[in-house]
Amino acid sequence: MGNTRVRNNIRKLRFEHGEMTQQELAERIGVTRQTIVAIEKEKYSPSLEAAFRIAAVFDQPLEAVFTFDG
Amino acid sequence: MDGSFQEKSARGLLAGILLVSVFYFPVALRIVEFAGNPVALVAVSVVGVVSLIIIEAVYHAAIAISGGTESDERDALVNLQAERNGGVVLGLTLFLLVGHIIAEHALRSGDGPSPLLIVVYIIAALTVSEVAKLASQIWYYRAGI
Repeated sequence: MGNTRVRNNIRKLRFEHGEMTQQELAERIGVTRQTIVAIEKEKYSPSLEAAFRIAAVFDQPLEAVFTFDG
Repeated sequence: MDGSFQEKSARGLLAGILLVSVFYFPVALRIVEFAGNPVALVAVSVVGVVSLIIIEAVYHAAIAISGGTESDERDALVNLQAERNGGVVLGLTLFLLVGHIIAEHALRSGDGPSPLLIVVYIIAALTVSEVAKLASQIWYYRAGI
């Protein structure tokens, strides 16, 4: 339980995309803002579909957004 | 406190169940011990359930108005894991209950707990499993899943 081993740089990507809010990102991928908060804090690993949606929002390949700390 | 509708719902339900339980179980046990009246036990149980429904309806209406009711994949996963934990606790408490009833029969030479007391025990087992489910739900939301 606790932190996942999936790392991400969503916070940085949001900053680079005009300080996109967590709420805006959440609405664009169809989850709640609290889920974006949990993903950013690495307390929840998103489903593959949600991960692809997040990458698509930032126009980045999946591996540029998420990495696995295995 | 910040949180999704589902998380606030779990917190409210847990608080409501604990609040009603604090009043319900002492009264129910007194009825079983002193009156032994099934009608009184049913009446107290109905009052307990109706109280819980009213508390939860008001609370859920308030949080729905203030922040919406949307849920997503994380809520579904948290709920699934919490349901599993609640199921494990329910199985365990019912197993202990059956063991207790058998032990009471053996120790008292066939005169075990009364049917009314068993009813209260079963309601307690259901309550404990629901509390375990809601507590683990809140834990997963806070600590991560």
